[in-house]
Amino acid sequence: MAGAVDSPRPLFRRFVVVAQALAFSAPLALLRKTPRLQLSGFALALLGVGLLVGPAAAQTPDATRRGGYIFDLAGCAGCHTDVKNKGPLAAGGRELKTPFGAFYGPNITPDPQYGLGRWKEADFVRAMRHGIRPDGNRYFPVFPYTSFAKMSDEDLHDLWGYLRSLPPVAKPSRRHDIGFPFRLRFLQIGWQWLNFSTGAFKVDPAKSPEWNRGAYVVQALGHCGECHTPRNIAGATRPSLYLAGTRDGPEGSKVPNITPDPETGIGKWSPGDLADLFKSGMTPDGDFVGATMAEVVRNSTSKMTDADLKAMIAYLRAVPPFRNDIRAVAK
Amino acid sequence: MTTVSRLALAMIGLVGVLGVATYSAEAQMNMMKQIEHRQEVMKGNGGAMKVLTPIVRGEAPWNQAAAVQAATTLANTAKEINALFPQGTGPEAGKTDALPAIWQNWADFQAKGQVFNEATTKLLQLAQANDEAGFKAQFPNVGKSCGGCHEGYRVKKQ
Repeated sequence: MAGAVDSPRPLFRRFVVVAQALAFSAPLALLRKTPRLQLSGFALALLGVGLLVGPAAAQTPDATRRGGYIFDLAGCAGCHTDVKNKGPLAAGGRELKTPFGAFYGPNITPDPQYGLGRWKEADFVRAMRHGIRPDGNRYFPVFPYTSFAKMSDEDLHDLWGYLRSLPPVAKPSRRHDIGFPFRLRFLQIGWQWLNFSTGAFKVDPAKSPEWNRGAYVVQALGHCGECHTPRNIAGATRPSLYLAGTRDGPEGSKVPNITPDPETGIGKWSPGDLADLFKSGMTPDGDFVGATMAEVVRNSTSKMTDADLKAMIAYLRAVPPFRNDIRAVAK
Repeated sequence: MTTVSRLALAMIGLVGVLGVATYSAEAQMNMMKQIEHRQEVMKGNGGAMKVLTPIVRGEAPWNQAAAVQAATTLANTAKEINALFPQGTGPEAGKTDALPAIWQNWADFQAKGQVFNEATTKLLQLAQANDEAGFKAQFPNVGKSCGGCHEGYRVKKQ
């Protein structure tokens, strides 16, 4: 087993996050007031984007259908639909328990009061690419903008078109239930500064188009690493342990190592084994995945085109293997 | 009250306390045995699915005898699926991935068990009828019925 992945105790984690937050929030709060020019330049740039995109925002049915596919692959329904209580699509309400508290996916239907009805496309793009709300506050990284930032302009545009096409639902979003000090949104400015840099997915010309498509599906749309990559004490994913699994998954579950390590990962799985998992949820030992992965299969992977499925499998089998046995140590 | 009757009363009380203690310890043991039994049965299901997978994928030739045997395992489990989850065999009794939500939503859990039952009964009938195409078409429905409970009622913690 790899000792490197041992997570610190929650109390220690809390302490470090608080210390970190205090250290970074003060100078950042000052920063926020001073560079007016920079901010207004940013606002102008956004306005520019808005003007550019504005007239072109009329959606063709084809683009809406593509947007629906992006919605599925990105698993939006998972957090933004309260399936347990038979809530309407994308109207929010689902609870996600994390080590920091319970989060509730908000309403993302086009309802003007409770959903995204008053948003401009530029607001949506900024949320997805930069993790910034229309009011300027930062999102908690439980909203995986850290992955969605990699989405292509076209996919974001189509997804926005699809969201606009959904029936509006007048249902208020539920407040997150997070402990102090994590609930302080301004701390997220420091978090972003430390842990996040935006940028669309870059094609690696040295790799095949299939690998690149698979990488895009896994990294940008599927946001697989948000659960399968262990996080550091500040709750940021650790790139060196990409997809290596963790004992601190959402809902208190263990999240398996999905690197191609033969002993602790998926190294012994055939492409057919992986295809079965993604289509039906069945694992090579005849078990069926449960909890959050069952949801991913239902909402996302079972709806993928064969080409995307193949690309994703090819990419996952080519990820650097990492030896990390999440079952080795009882928590 | 005489001393003797007081003594007798105390004895009765003592026996009662001991009895309850033994009884609950025994109940606890039974619950744990139930959990272990359930896990064995579920492993058996996994084994059956593992036999069927290469056949359904076309990696192994159609084998009616194997199909009937594996489908029988699944159908038999499905018939007693609710009985495998008696009240008190959740995480409070021992190491299990079964969630308390099972007993909080018992009607829904039963309904999902019924879906599993119907799916596996049909699978077995198709195997017995030697209907290869029908069997292969029904197989994913069985999988779906497994996932149906694993999603809301099981979280892998071990």
